[in-house]
Amino acid sequence: MIRSEVVVIGGGFAGLTAALAAAKRGQTVTLLTYGEGTLPLNSGVIDVLGYDENHNFVENPIAAIEKLPETHPYKKIGVKALQEAVEFFCGVARKNHIPYHGSLDHQMMVPTAIGTLKPTCLTPHSLSGSEVFPGKKKIVVVGIKGLKDFYGDIMMENLKKALGEGREYQLVEVDTGLTGGRDITTQDVARWLDTDAGTASFTKQLKAYGGETDVLFIVPQVLGTKGHACYQTISSRLGTDVLETTCLPPSVNGMRLQHVLVDSLREMGVDIVENTKVIGSEKDGKTVKAVIAKTASNERKYYAKKFILATGGFYSGGITMRDFEQPKEPIFDLPVSFVKGEENWTNKELFGNAPQGFAKTGILTDEALHPVDESGTVVLENVHVVGRDLGGYDFCFEHSGNGVALASAYKAAMM
Amino acid sequence: MSDKQMIEEEERAIYTGDHCLSCTSCMSNCPVMAAAKEYRGPKLVAPAHGRMHFSEDDTELSLDFCSNCKSCDRACPSGVAVSTLNMLQRAEYYRHHPHSQRDDMLAHGERMAKRLNAIPLGTTFANFGMSIGKSLGIFDSMGIAGKRDMPKYASSTFAQEFKKIQQPKSDKKVVFYPGCSINYNEPHIGVAFVKVMNKNGYEVILDEKFNCCGSPLVVTGYLDEAHEHAENNVSRILYWKQQGIPVLACCTSCSLMLRQEYEELFGEQAMKDAGENVYDAFEFLEMLDAEGKFNTNINAVKARFLYHVPCHLKTQGIGTPAVSIFRRIPGAKVELADVGCCGMSGNYGFKKDKYDISMKIGEKLFSRIKAAAADGIICDCPTCRMQIRHGTQTDPVHPIEVLAKAYK
Repeated sequence: MIRSEVVVIGGGFAGLTAALAAAKRGQTVTLLTYGEGTLPLNSGVIDVLGYDENHNFVENPIAAIEKLPETHPYKKIGVKALQEAVEFFCGVARKNHIPYHGSLDHQMMVPTAIGTLKPTCLTPHSLSGSEVFPGKKKIVVVGIKGLKDFYGDIMMENLKKALGEGREYQLVEVDTGLTGGRDITTQDVARWLDTDAGTASFTKQLKAYGGETDVLFIVPQVLGTKGHACYQTISSRLGTDVLETTCLPPSVNGMRLQHVLVDSLREMGVDIVENTKVIGSEKDGKTVKAVIAKTASNERKYYAKKFILATGGFYSGGITMRDFEQPKEPIFDLPVSFVKGEENWTNKELFGNAPQGFAKTGILTDEALHPVDESGTVVLENVHVVGRDLGGYDFCFEHSGNGVALASAYKAAMM
Repeated sequence: MSDKQMIEEEERAIYTGDHCLSCTSCMSNCPVMAAAKEYRGPKLVAPAHGRMHFSEDDTELSLDFCSNCKSCDRACPSGVAVSTLNMLQRAEYYRHHPHSQRDDMLAHGERMAKRLNAIPLGTTFANFGMSIGKSLGIFDSMGIAGKRDMPKYASSTFAQEFKKIQQPKSDKKVVFYPGCSINYNEPHIGVAFVKVMNKNGYEVILDEKFNCCGSPLVVTGYLDEAHEHAENNVSRILYWKQQGIPVLACCTSCSLMLRQEYEELFGEQAMKDAGENVYDAFEFLEMLDAEGKFNTNINAVKARFLYHVPCHLKTQGIGTPAVSIFRRIPGAKVELADVGCCGMSGNYGFKKDKYDISMKIGEKLFSRIKAAAADGIICDCPTCRMQIRHGTQTDPVHPIEVLAKAYK
C-alpha cells in the first residue's frame, strides 16, 4: 500500500507530462508504467490539428479547434489550457537542452521518411521543416549505408513533388562503419553521432556536397540521442541547415523527448514504478480510493487523492474489446463511447478522406476531464482521463495525437 | 510432467511471442544491441525466431549474446516475456550441443562452494588459488574474463554465522532466502538483514533445505537442472506459505527467479502459487511502513547515496522500495544512477568473449558514479556490485547494510 497525492497511470507522452505537471505544482506523484510508452515509436513532434473532419488541411490550428464538434476532446480541454500546456512544455524542453518552437496559429511542414510533408505545430530545431525550405537551391538527401527503413530515392522523388522541381536534388550516402553485423537502426547512427569521431566523420563525408547556405541536408532521425547539441555541431560545421525527417520506429527524437521528461521527473523526486500493470481499482461511490497493480507475483495498492488515466486507449490496451461493441476500460470500468454499427466501424480507404470509426472509441469527459456516462453525468469525481483514452477523435486522421495528449495531461494535472 | 497442474495456456510465457507487434521498443532498450552489432536483438531473436524455433530444428546463433537482463521485457508494451523466450531457446540449443567447461563452472557456483566448505580451510585455499589462477592466466585460458576477480569466499557461511545470532523470540516470523552470494561470499549482508528484521519485531528463520535459485543455470542453458532446483525451492516456499510465513530475499536476481521466472520458464501452477509468498526485503519493509509498523527509531546518516537500481529489481514491478525506506533515515539522501544496465548480468560479464561488451555497457554507469562523487554507492544485486567495483574502484554496499548500521 503506497500513498501519494496523485497517481498517474501510463508512461506515454500524456502520462509523463501529467506526472511532471503535477509534480511541478508541488504534489507527491507516483507514476505507474507498463512498457516503454509511445515515445520510442513516435517522432516526438507535437501535432495539434492538421486536418478537419472532412480532411481539409487546417491552416490555423487554434482557430480550427473552435469549429470542431462538441464531442471532440479539444472542446472539453479548451484553447486556454492548450496554450498554457504549450508554454509549460516549451519551458521544460528548453531547460533540458532541446528547445521546441512553432506556433498554434500556423503549421510547420516536416518531411516524413518517404519525403512527403506533414503538418505539425511544435518541433525541435532539427525538425523545423518549412522554416528552412525557403531560399534553398539544392536539397541533399543523406542516406546511411545499411540503415533499415530509409529509402532515399523514394524520399527524393516525393520531395521533388512537395518542394518543386525548381531546385537541384542529390542523393548521397554516408558510411558509418557500423555495417557488417545486423541491420543498423537510426538509434545506432545517433549513438555513433554522440561521439566526436562520429560527428567528425559524418561532416567530413558531407562537406563536399554543401559549403553554401543555400544547400539543405535532409537526414534520417540520427542527430544524437540526447538534446540538440549534435544538431548544432553538425549544422555549424556544414555551414548550412540540416533537417531531420520523421521516421519509422525506433524514433530517436521521440526518445530524446522521453529522456527530457523522465529526467525531469527524477529531478522532481517522482516515484516511477515500471513494469507494473494496473488491473483494477477500489472505489467508494464516485471516489476512487486506490488502484490495484500487479507486481512480479502479487498485487499492490496505490492510494491517492487523485488519479490520472493515461493508458493509451484502444491502441495500448487502455481500452479493450473482447466482444464486438462491448468495449471495456479495465481499471475503473468507465463507460466507453464508440461508433455503433459494424458498417461504421472502419473505413476501408486507409488513407482516405474520412476518419476510422473504431479510432473514435474512448471515454467522454466533462471540462475537468472527469469521465462521464452517456447522459453526461460524472461517474468518478477524482479521476481524470487524458491522451488516447479520450473518445471522439481519430488522432491519426486529423494529426492531433501529441497535441491532445499534451493539453489534456496538463489540464488534468492542474485540476 | 503430465500430472502437474499447468497454468492456463493463454497466460503462459512461452506463448507470449504471439503478442509481439514488432514495435521495436525492446530493441531500443536492449543494452547488448547498443554495445554489439553481432546481436540481432530481442525482437528478431525471441518472439520472431523463437516461435519458429520451437517447431523446427534450427538455431539463431546470435541468441548467445542475450544477457537476460530483461530490459526488453520491461520495454515491451504487449507483455511478451522476451528474455524468457531467449532462455528457453538457449536451453533447447544445449539439449543438442555440449557445454564448455567454462559454462559448467559458471553455472555451478553453488556446487563448488559446497565442496569447498566441506573441506577444512577449503575456501581459504580456494581464495588463494583463485588469485594465483588469475595471475597465471588459468581462468583466461578457460574462457573466463581474466581481468576480473572471481568472487572471494567468506571464511564462514551465512548459515554458520546465523547460528551465532541471538534473536529475540517473536510470533512474527519471516523466512530468509540468502542465495549463494550471501551464503558463501557476503554473509555480512544476511547478518544485516537479520538485524533489520529483529528491529522490526520479526524473527528470522533460515531454511537450509533451499538451494541455489537456478539463475546461473538458466542463463547458461542448464534448464533441466534449474527445473530440479525450482521444484525443491517451490516446495519449500509452499511449505512456509501454508504456515503463513513469507519468504524474503535480499538478492534481486534470486527473488525474481523465485517469484516470476520459475513460472515463466516452466509454466506450473505451483510455481505461481509459491511466487505469491516471495518478497524483496525492502518491498516487505515498505509494506510495514505503509501500515505504520516500520521501526523508525533510526540514527541519522548524513550522507548522499547514489543508487544503482538492478535490472532484476526494476523487472519486479515494485518500484524502488529502498528509496522509500531511506526517506525514513534522517539525513540520508538517495539519488538514482538511472543509466540502465551495468553490463554484468550474473555470469555474463565473466565470460571472456562477453567481457568487452559487458564493460562497454557499464561505461555509462561507471562515468555516472565517478562524476557523482557520492558518499556511498548502494545496490541490491551482488553481480552489479562486482561490476561497479571492477569499473570504478568504489566499494558499493547493499542498502540493507546501511539501514542495519543506522538502527540504534
